[in-house]
Amino acid sequence: MSTAPPLPPKPVADRDTQPFWDAVAEHRLVVQRCDSCAAWIWQPRPICPRCHGDALTWTEVSGAGRVASWTALHPPVLAVWADKLPFVILLVELDGAPGVRMIGQLVDDAGELLRTNGDGEGIAMGAPVALRWRVDEAGQTLPAWTL
Amino acid sequence: MSGVIRTPGRQPVVVGLHSLPYSKDIGMTERHTGALAIQGALADAGLTAEDVDGICRYVWQPTTEMEMARVLGVPNLRWFGAQDYGGGAGPPTVALACAAIELGLADCIVVWRSRNRSSGGRPWAGQMLAENQDQFERPFGIVRPVDGIALLARIWMQTWGWTREDFGRVATTVRGHANRNPMAMMHHKTMTMDDYMASRMIAEPLCLFDNCLETDGALAIVLVAAERARDMDLSNKPAYVSGYALGSGPQVYAMTNYYGDDLTRSPNAFVAPELWRNTGLKPGDIDVVQIYDAFTPQVPLFFQEFGFCGEGDGTAYVASDECLTYNTSGGGLSEAYVHGFNLIVEAVRQVRGVSSTQVAEVRHCLVTGGNVVPTGAMVLSKEPW
Repeated sequence: MSTAPPLPPKPVADRDTQPFWDAVAEHRLVVQRCDSCAAWIWQPRPICPRCHGDALTWTEVSGAGRVASWTALHPPVLAVWADKLPFVILLVELDGAPGVRMIGQLVDDAGELLRTNGDGEGIAMGAPVALRWRVDEAGQTLPAWTL
Repeated sequence: MSGVIRTPGRQPVVVGLHSLPYSKDIGMTERHTGALAIQGALADAGLTAEDVDGICRYVWQPTTEMEMARVLGVPNLRWFGAQDYGGGAGPPTVALACAAIELGLADCIVVWRSRNRSSGGRPWAGQMLAENQDQFERPFGIVRPVDGIALLARIWMQTWGWTREDFGRVATTVRGHANRNPMAMMHHKTMTMDDYMASRMIAEPLCLFDNCLETDGALAIVLVAAERARDMDLSNKPAYVSGYALGSGPQVYAMTNYYGDDLTRSPNAFVAPELWRNTGLKPGDIDVVQIYDAFTPQVPLFFQEFGFCGEGDGTAYVASDECLTYNTSGGGLSEAYVHGFNLIVEAVRQVRGVSSTQVAEVRHCLVTGGNVVPTGAMVLSKEPW
């Protein structure tokens, strides 16, 4: 009996979200923007909630942002992460895309997950963060952020 | 004044309740425990399955209304339905029953929640495909309910100066209630503030004791129209539903509700004005509250969003002498976690006057669903409209 290594949850794209994941595979971070009212829209969707237009354009952003909130995970968690704890998850408010907040893990400059509760990194609300790319345990590329 | 239509004979009344003993492993299916809870609630009201013409459930309840009707031997359902959004579904599910009774669509509706949340495992541990909103959460580690709440709790701490001690005050207060409740899972386990501060972190800034229990449990209530309740030989006092309300707010997400414009308001901020309008009551009319408490920060947020104190003053209010008595059974944190249904049953017990932490002369008891998901609240009262 073989034991398969534990895997993280796999993002399942649909027609509305596929462009986001296609861009991630090319190391580009994109967010929808409304052609009519210029609103930045997150999470992905078919219609602008502000002006109700359906002409939305995927627009690349730098990924630079600020820490809107953060947590550090401790047991119990999914098996795939059991030997990586604690690690920090960020809620990042993106510069240049007002109101857009994304979830991502705290990584080092090379995009490797940091084993930390944030203390050593001096993480703080409002701290500036920069975009990196992390390849997870299943080979899935994910946007991630570094201090 | 109330904007809702009231026909006094059709006011919904809770005439029966039942809860099975809580357990870490109840040894039965949720179908089985749910049926026993409903049978118990019907017996409490002097009714049988032959009297039932409606069943409502949580969407998360794996046993459908039809399966439960078959198990119980209910001859015909004139009303059925389910409400979504996890722990937000409690009062909304009862509201689904109440609205049908008020409209005359059904006369006797049972509502239940049975859940093997301890022996049945953690639902978050098995969902490996992340669709819809989950694709932007779960692959990154936001998997457990507490993970999303932790992000919000830190924002509330930052915004209003809330502290871990403030959350510890909630945890130790409800533990004290559980210590008086022989049914509570934590009946024999006391908790001091030192115990709270020493407990291990789960999702910073939230520790183990900020989290609700993992429990097997099953509870049910029976609602009838007031005109029917009048003709019944009730051995327990009826609890009248004075009103209820549901709310979502804009751009709402269940549990990970941090993408909108205002991260300091939960869906309950939208439920509260509707509840006061629909009941014609105000905070000063409420004698005791049962607040959905899967996580401690939900309690101070409740008090400020329902207007018992000002915005940001939730923790100061909880620490003050003016604070209403809350979660008298021990709640989700210390009695049992059954998706908040034990809070609804406890609200009925307060109106009946039979709680283990009974508040004197209860006229109105307010009970809520979870405030970080689309949710609802209701008021149960000693007297009819």
